Amino acid sequence: MAQEAHGALHDLLAVRGVTRRDFLKYCGSVAAMLGLSETMAPQIAAALEAAPKLMPALWLNGGSCTGCTESIAQVDTPDVATIVLDYLSFEYFETIMAAAGSWAEKNITKRAEEGGYILIYEGSVMTGQDGYTLFVGGGPENEGAKKGTEILAEAAKNAAAVIAVGSCAVDGGWIYGYPNASEATGVAAFLQKEGIKTPVVNMPTCPVNPEWVVAMVVQLLIVADRDPAKFLEVTPMVKRTYTDAVTGEKVGLLMPKAIYGQTIHDNCPRRGHFENGEFVTELGSKEEAMGYCLYKVGCKGPQTFTQCPVTRWNRRASWCVESGAPCIGCGGLNWVDNNAPFLKRTSDIRIGDTGVQAGTIGAAVGAVAAAGLVLHGIGMKAAGRIGDGPPMEEMKAYDRKRLAKKGGDK
Amino acid sequence: MAGHPHYREAHPLIFVITHWINLICMVMLAFSGFYIHYPFFDGFMGVARGMHFVAMYVVIINLTFRIIAAFFVKTAQSLDSREVDLDIKNWLPQEKNRHQFFETVKYYLFLRKEGVISAKYGSLQKIAYLATIPLTYLQAYTGFAIYGPTMDWGFFSGGLDLVGGPMNMRIIHYLGMWVFILFTMVHAYLANIYNFAPSKLIFLWKETVPEGKH
Repeated sequence: MAQEAHGALHDLLAVRGVTRRDFLKYCGSVAAMLGLSETMAPQIAAALEAAPKLMPALWLNGGSCTGCTESIAQVDTPDVATIVLDYLSFEYFETIMAAAGSWAEKNITKRAEEGGYILIYEGSVMTGQDGYTLFVGGGPENEGAKKGTEILAEAAKNAAAVIAVGSCAVDGGWIYGYPNASEATGVAAFLQKEGIKTPVVNMPTCPVNPEWVVAMVVQLLIVADRDPAKFLEVTPMVKRTYTDAVTGEKVGLLMPKAIYGQTIHDNCPRRGHFENGEFVTELGSKEEAMGYCLYKVGCKGPQTFTQCPVTRWNRRASWCVESGAPCIGCGGLNWVDNNAPFLKRTSDIRIGDTGVQAGTIGAAVGAVAAAGLVLHGIGMKAAGRIGDGPPMEEMKAYDRKRLAKKGGDK
Repeated sequence: MAGHPHYREAHPLIFVITHWINLICMVMLAFSGFYIHYPFFDGFMGVARGMHFVAMYVVIINLTFRIIAAFFVKTAQSLDSREVDLDIKNWLPQEKNRHQFFETVKYYLFLRKEGVISAKYGSLQKIAYLATIPLTYLQAYTGFAIYGPTMDWGFFSGGLDLVGGPMNMRIIHYLGMWVFILFTMVHAYLANIYNFAPSKLIFLWKETVPEGKH
């Protein structure tokens, strides 16, 4: 059986031009990501090869740009990540599946009834407009017609685990940002509100890094023997708590610690220049090419908790900061509101519909105070108080009044 | 009010020293803080951060010491007397300041002519000084909450969750500095508006005694 599967994967890889050597190298990088020794690479390779047709999985798209799908599903060149992900048996994957119409929708219902699958959800949960978004099946009068939120609830209820990929699925992402007209929220907040107890593993960034999804799939397959309960038990997680503005729920988001435990700043290749005080002041400058720190052009690396500098992007070729662009903090919570404007050091403080920088507020208040003190000083001078001060009262005003009253009473 | 004597008993040497330490550290904190917020020249980030941390540890130790010392050191309770009592009594409500809060406000708004009777510290003054204590500790808290090695500690990460993440905490920390800058502006102004006798006392420990007093 294992031999057979080995052959199958080997053929698949060969067809796509991936040599066994490439594959083992890839397994080594996956091992490193999981915090395992690189000597585990052959075991990881063996586990992937030995895996029969893998766990059934549903991939649902919520309110999103489909960027996470794009990130994972690019197959214009042979991509090991893609091939490994083929080993998850996707029974529903809107963007890339061949099935259509009511047949496709039945795959969800059928799988949800049978259980034993994982649900991968991409995009925000749009609760606005009474939930008449991502509507499937024509008008509400049609049999089997469903709101997007109903499909999520149905698919999540019986799933062994939900993986929320991309920032939108985590907490609503950029769609959640002000003014959030579609009342978008995250999967975890929505399920908590609905009372659905299925565990949610959150994988933010915009889009999600495919290598991290692969890492979690491998973790599920090898370390956890395909048991989602064990997966949650053996995978170190960080919990980020926030109060969702749409549902009002206080949610503790679970994120894999190996990926979301440290800031970009902690592992940044430009960090040395930060400490040296060597900064890029203008994008496209000589300093940027020399690898100077992007802090002054608004890099949000110091408060963004992702492994980007270690894993990198686009088949480990490069990533935002390495290529000279400041981190815009896409792996954080409520990331647009918390990080825009992207080229400024701090996010805007919103007063009504306008954003103001904290520095502007500070300087304005300081200037008003300085002007006020000067005016007050002129007043003190005019009142003749400078020098020895004003004449002092003989008795407190309160006592004077009380005495006068007593006198009146007498 | 301002023509009163400035005796050393108002500020014993130990508090002249703590005031100096505070001033120097606050200037270092504000300068390095502005630099960390936006590095306005090159080559100083490592030093700025080191300066920022050390100065704040000193401020916290200094403040804590100052609070404890208030229970042991004796200071004058009145502006025109050398008579001393425990310093802490200057920080608790005092009979001389009763019913004088709004009168003090009126005085500074030029709504009354005569100066108001007060203890060593007037009611407004005392409230402002006392407010800097929790504000200083809060500034240390918000600082640790955005400091890599400590931000994961439950005590700080709980605060981060509460305000919506490190960016918001950073903004609070930044605006907190402006509160101190405003305090310092008003403090320096009001202390020296009549004459510089208070500065001579708190910085140089030099008395100013009007004729006829001793």
